Amino acid sequence: MTDTTAASRTLPGHLPHHPLRAALTGSVASIAFTFIAVIAVGLIWIGPKFVSFGNVSIIGSFLIVPLIVGAFSGFALLAGVVDLSIGSIVGISAAIFAWLITHGWGLWPAAGATLSICLVIGGLNALAIVRFGADPIAATLGMLTALRGITWVLCGNQRMIPAFDIDFFTLINQQLFGLPLFFLLAIVLTLIAAVVVTKTRVGRHVQAVGGDDRAAARAGISVRGVRTAALLLSAVGGGLGGMIYVGQLGSAAGATGLGLEFQVYAALMIGGYSILRGGVGNPVGGALGLLAVAGVANILDLGRISPYYVNIIVGLLLLAAVLLDRLRGGDAYE
Amino acid sequence: MSTDQAIDATPTATPLAVRFQGWGTAITLVAVWALLIAATGLYRPDFFAHQTVLAIAFTMSIVGVLAIGQGIIGISGGFIDLSQPACLILTSLIAVRLSEAGLPLPLVFVGAVLVGMVWGAFNATIVVLAKLNPVIVTLATNFIGLAALYLVFQLAQVPNGSEIYHMGRASFLGLPVIWWPMLVLIIIVGFLMRYTRYGRRITAVGGNRFAAQARGISLKKTRFATFMAAGGFVGFAAVLFASAAGPFNPSSASTMQLNVIAAVILAGISLAGGRGSFWMLLLSVGFLSTIPTSLVFFGLSSDTQSIFQGILLMIAVAIDGYRARRGTP
Amino acid sequence: MRNSVRAFALMALSVPVLIGLAGVAEAQDKFKLGMMVGGNTCCEWMKAQGDVARALAEKMGWDYVELSNNNDPATALKNAQIMVQEGVDAAIQFNGQPSTNPAISAVMKAANIPIVTYDIADPGMYFVGIDNLAAGIAGGEQLGKIMKEKWNCEPDLVISSEGAGAGIVNEWRTGGMRTGVKNICPDIPAEKYISFEGSGDAAVALPAARDLLAANPNAVKMAVVGINDGGVLGLINAAEQLGRADEVIGWGQDGAFITGDNVNPHLAGSVFYFLEGYAVYAIKDVIGPIAEGKEVALKADAGDPASKVQPCPVSAEQAKAVPDMPERVAQLLAAPAGTTEYDLFCLNK
Repeated sequence: MTDTTAASRTLPGHLPHHPLRAALTGSVASIAFTFIAVIAVGLIWIGPKFVSFGNVSIIGSFLIVPLIVGAFSGFALLAGVVDLSIGSIVGISAAIFAWLITHGWGLWPAAGATLSICLVIGGLNALAIVRFGADPIAATLGMLTALRGITWVLCGNQRMIPAFDIDFFTLINQQLFGLPLFFLLAIVLTLIAAVVVTKTRVGRHVQAVGGDDRAAARAGISVRGVRTAALLLSAVGGGLGGMIYVGQLGSAAGATGLGLEFQVYAALMIGGYSILRGGVGNPVGGALGLLAVAGVANILDLGRISPYYVNIIVGLLLLAAVLLDRLRGGDAYE
Repeated sequence: MSTDQAIDATPTATPLAVRFQGWGTAITLVAVWALLIAATGLYRPDFFAHQTVLAIAFTMSIVGVLAIGQGIIGISGGFIDLSQPACLILTSLIAVRLSEAGLPLPLVFVGAVLVGMVWGAFNATIVVLAKLNPVIVTLATNFIGLAALYLVFQLAQVPNGSEIYHMGRASFLGLPVIWWPMLVLIIIVGFLMRYTRYGRRITAVGGNRFAAQARGISLKKTRFATFMAAGGFVGFAAVLFASAAGPFNPSSASTMQLNVIAAVILAGISLAGGRGSFWMLLLSVGFLSTIPTSLVFFGLSSDTQSIFQGILLMIAVAIDGYRARRGTP
Repeated sequence: MRNSVRAFALMALSVPVLIGLAGVAEAQDKFKLGMMVGGNTCCEWMKAQGDVARALAEKMGWDYVELSNNNDPATALKNAQIMVQEGVDAAIQFNGQPSTNPAISAVMKAANIPIVTYDIADPGMYFVGIDNLAAGIAGGEQLGKIMKEKWNCEPDLVISSEGAGAGIVNEWRTGGMRTGVKNICPDIPAEKYISFEGSGDAAVALPAARDLLAANPNAVKMAVVGINDGGVLGLINAAEQLGRADEVIGWGQDGAFITGDNVNPHLAGSVFYFLEGYAVYAIKDVIGPIAEGKEVALKADAGDPASKVQPCPVSAEQAKAVPDMPERVAQLLAAPAGTTEYDLFCLNK
């Protein structure tokens, strides 16, 4: 009996013991290399314009929502409960928020109500996954589908809720030091998340639960509590993302956030997270992954490459980046 | 208990679990399907009509064959093949081009299945040589594949009045011609997976790959075999799709992905590998294909369809998880 | 093994570098046109819109930038910002996700760049396109005439294949077709009009259409209208599969499936807009004058557009004389500047 325990601990048990070292020598170092390579290519090909404030602003404001969603949903990945419903949560949050502010609600009460509904959605995810033990991918795939259907219904026959508010638009697009304010806030949020993950007890608990839930439970960590909290956080990230989209885009649409989960998770995987097992990944790596992918797309846009090649090249890069990560000692499949 | 014994113990436990899961899944699926049919029939007695059966059977045909491919990837521990849409469109295009060239139907099937297998081999090559996770690999190849296909064509359809065109519209014994191959394939694959050495090996690899390896099963060969087989089934489904769908474009297959994955999960085929019966696909695909038809009889719009399907999938996996959790000490 | 893998990674990374080194910076003083294509893989014409704009811009000696909106609202906004940064002198967009149009308008206005929008109007953009409502009514009236002649205006069902994702365009086109039918056959009872969601894609519409037919088992004489030819074809294919196509008559919109030698016999006609050739209108009436330094008044309303595309209803019989899309594009680009596809190919002017 004791032997079995020891065996199961030595197999996947390395990471929880040295989270900081593992993160710095592993995934973040790889993505940092990829990120620097992207900047180098951009400088060679596009020239100094690539790193100009103007261009970084464009990339930055495009990334505000993915960065925020990524920072929050990264906790769910870390805890070993991938949340595929984030794109649909963004969609429904945008629809609810847009509906409320066009029906006489103030921005703050509307934001509060929207976030509450998102918490309920996160709670339902947690109920299915944590309480009943449903497979996270399958359960949140169901949530993704159901929420998208509700979003369509909410958006009505025209498939959109116009909610262009020039004040809110100006607020979201506010610049600070020549860069979008909310982009900087998203970076700060990422750094806070990184500190939480690497330097605090809470972060270690999340990693422990994702790395080996039985070992974590034996160590006295509430596995259910951590996973429930992670799924709630993930839903909050989606909720914030949806509301920011309403400000940025001036409306909510049936397609708002459609496919965002793939966009974000592909980048997070490039950045060192895994959607199949918890315990690995770092918010900084995830953010660098998003920046690297957006940088590549930007290089192709500015480099006058036919837009139809963009997806092919981004796909190849996804493969190249995960391969690079593996060659640097990352996770091998079989 | 030594470590070796602990690993060896897992595969012997698998058949028991399969049997237990299988029955529970079958009873649950039959019960909810019957309930859905009964409720719709009570509300609209004309639901019990040949037209309804035809509509549901057509919907089942393509999803069913795709689900076999997805199930093989799942049960062998490859989790999900996210590149099915790209592979389906690629092989459908092959089927169209071969039909346009005037090739007889059997050769069209052979061509599409072969190209599907090549696609599968391409996925497997990356997975095996680069040692990358299949989910990420197929996510990327789907991305690349669809984008590349769009550069090649934006619209394709089989020639009006051709052999393949008629196959997509004809009936045999009161059911669509394209429904029967789905039925036969699911029965055969279910049999092969359960009663042959190869099928058991695939399941064993999914259950515990290291134990399987220790017993002398080559993981690389298994990956190639499963991905090529899955690609072949997609190629087969593509001929059915091309025959029935009318004009299609590179994005026409994307809405099917969810239904296929849901069918595999509802059938109790574990995405993490190692358990499940392919025969259950007949029930899960049938049930899932009945939902949209029922909703239309209830007078609900197709927007609501995804709400029901999504909630249902969540409840199903929650029940599945609860049962599995109770079953384990 | 390990080396070959490493070589593969290096190759993948070096591709963009090499292309970059091969790229030559272009002259900056030329007039620069930006084109943001829809980027939805749904439709043959979407890519062609960019190809035609590129060819025409090159003919004019302009610099040309093309980006794809990827059918995504956030990408459309980002593309507008890139167009501003790239210093385009004018821009054209087709935005299938028009929810972002107000934000795009604001961005372009701040940079003082005129922008043309195809088919989906926004108060801040030059409208170039079809009057979707008029196109719908024109098609509906043609279908109504057939119904009057064959069925004495007594169909069992008038089925609408909706594409709600297109928003107001769907209401104009599909609703317009119903209005057109009512203009000819005013006495069809309201309950005979039914709708289903077909997403304007034949393959996606097909299962929903089968369900709809199953739920209306006694309907025989069925007239089909829809947002486009693809949506209408979805229902026709479903009727063929359920053995009920004998008395199905469809009339589509956009003319995507009415040319060539593969036209479904139940598709009685369609309405051409010649979507792929819109750049001719945009350049003739908006971009060209701007490039010459003239002031062009902002006309943003679909009812009073900056350049109006005429709908061209055709029966399947008449459409046999019209070449398919690639051939039309070739002839359009060979024609004198300012010639539209309507001029070249529309028989019912």
